[in-house]
Amino acid sequence: MIAVDIQKRLGDFALDVAFEAGHETVVLFGHSGSGKSVSLAAIAGLLRPDSGRIEVAGRVVFDATRGVNLPPQRRNVGYVVQQLALFPHLTAAENIGYGLTRTSATARRARIAELVGLLSLAGLEDRLPRQLSGGQQQRVALARALARPVDVLLLDEPFSALDETLRGDLRAELLRLHRELDVPVVFVTHDLREAHLLADRIAVIDDGKVLQYAPREEVFRHPRVRRVAELTGVRNLFGGCLDHGRVVVNGLLLTAEVPAGLGPEVDVAIRAERCNLRRYDPEGELPENCFVAHVVTDLAFGNTHTLHLEPESAGPSVEVEVASRPYEVLGVASRGRWVVELPAPDLHIMPR
Amino acid sequence: MTSLADRPVASEGRTSPSLATLFALPALLFGAFVLVPLAALVYRAVRDEGVAGRLTDASVQTALRLSLVTSTLTLAIALLLGIPLAYLLARTQFPGKQLVDTLVDLPMVLPPTVAGVALLVAFGRRGVFGSVLDRLGIELAFTTSAVVLAQLFVSAPFLVRSLKAGFQAVDPTYEQVSATLGVSPLRTFWRITLRLSRPALVGGAVLCWVRALSELGATIIFAGNFEGRTQTMPLAIISAFESSQGLAGAMALAVILLAVAFVLLVVLRLVLRGDRLFEV
Repeated sequence: MIAVDIQKRLGDFALDVAFEAGHETVVLFGHSGSGKSVSLAAIAGLLRPDSGRIEVAGRVVFDATRGVNLPPQRRNVGYVVQQLALFPHLTAAENIGYGLTRTSATARRARIAELVGLLSLAGLEDRLPRQLSGGQQQRVALARALARPVDVLLLDEPFSALDETLRGDLRAELLRLHRELDVPVVFVTHDLREAHLLADRIAVIDDGKVLQYAPREEVFRHPRVRRVAELTGVRNLFGGCLDHGRVVVNGLLLTAEVPAGLGPEVDVAIRAERCNLRRYDPEGELPENCFVAHVVTDLAFGNTHTLHLEPESAGPSVEVEVASRPYEVLGVASRGRWVVELPAPDLHIMPR
Repeated sequence: MTSLADRPVASEGRTSPSLATLFALPALLFGAFVLVPLAALVYRAVRDEGVAGRLTDASVQTALRLSLVTSTLTLAIALLLGIPLAYLLARTQFPGKQLVDTLVDLPMVLPPTVAGVALLVAFGRRGVFGSVLDRLGIELAFTTSAVVLAQLFVSAPFLVRSLKAGFQAVDPTYEQVSATLGVSPLRTFWRITLRLSRPALVGGAVLCWVRALSELGATIIFAGNFEGRTQTMPLAIISAFESSQGLAGAMALAVILLAVAFVLLVVLRLVLRGDRLFEV
């Protein structure tokens, strides 16, 4: 269990972060400079918040009002910093066993061997960090952080320096590790896909504040405010007006699930991959939530195409993501004019 | 389109001499300038029987022993006091830090004779602190302790300077990670910070020791030139040179000091090369 509620001023920057989690993976998600890493440093005890409280595994490690501020040595956190900081003069095995100071030599060797097995480092024990590949260094850093019993594992963009394939492997490994470890993991990243893959819960942090803290699907499907939608990669955000339980966007009346208690002005969000394209039929009647638009740009990303469409009359400008297969079957390349459908279940209405 | 890499590289020395060729002559001149006097000294010392005979003189051995003991003691004290000071200068902010930083450098630019006078004024029998010490029955000036103090004054800054740069070059993230791994600050300092600044430590220590070994000006004023008590090797060279022995006496002592300094340099290089961090 981990419970964080801290405030800290750093020059013009004001950090105000709060979240709670059980034995799950919390992803602190946001742009660089949003305050994610600072939050981790505060949990680890490397940075003293101005006010607030941090509780790890039922133990208060920081409480400003009660004057509690345990040093990093006594917080039982496993912390992997972004630059890893493997001790360059120690071998992989010595790095892993570095913190096992109160352990007998035999027990230390056994523990190192155990971690070497857990993180598939066999045969690399006697190498110095600079003789290891990026992925291997990563695993040594993880092993070192896990050598002592920890109450929480803190990971600060641990995969950012690696190439995409390696990242994929290590993410899978982290998912496996998390199942075996049974401690909360706080994972900092600015990578949307990484956040989605690893998170049980996501805290979207922007300019030092938590904009939304919720289970992963909740954040991705129901961003609380426009900024969360932007940060989580929603490409279509329109200003709209409520009208008798429906929404008007740029003259187009849309059916959507409208939460209760919203004012007339709202923000409407829909992900690019949720928008549908239909063939245009000049004779036919436009179905619900559909409008006619023409393709302005068409960007090919290999397995997907990103299209920008401008409305012919009512309706918003939209970005639509189409997988390569339907793109070819529909013959998108050969036609300029389409019917765009914004399906009601995929429209998300937020307060303005 | 031609990229930078496609362009033919001007081959060295075809149209104009390369920088290396241009710089070779002054570099050689400087090398010769250093080598010639040293070679001459060794040559004369080997050839001249009078020199070889003096190597075993009791007075020469006394001076050598005194030099080695005092300079080693100086280094020990410099390490004891200099390491914490260098760390504070490198890692912390405190009021007056700029002033301390400047004061540490001062002895390096000060003529040693000035340092000797200052030490005498402070710790001489009638000096500012000396009179207090005198009443306690402690006499510093013109003792072996004075030799160590004079050496410490002029040589410790070399160690502090080098170590400060060494500590600054160690990424504090290592220390932070060590802390999260449950290791106390003092142990972290020992296992990480000091270990990672070993080149600076060894380099600074050698500089400090050599500077102490060659100390003359401050010693002669503050400690005097008493055989067996304050007459270290450099002082003995001066005395020999001015005595009836003349150049021959000075040469014997000089060649010994040269050998000691040379061995030290070789040891320094070996120590640093044996360091895992710097293996290629």
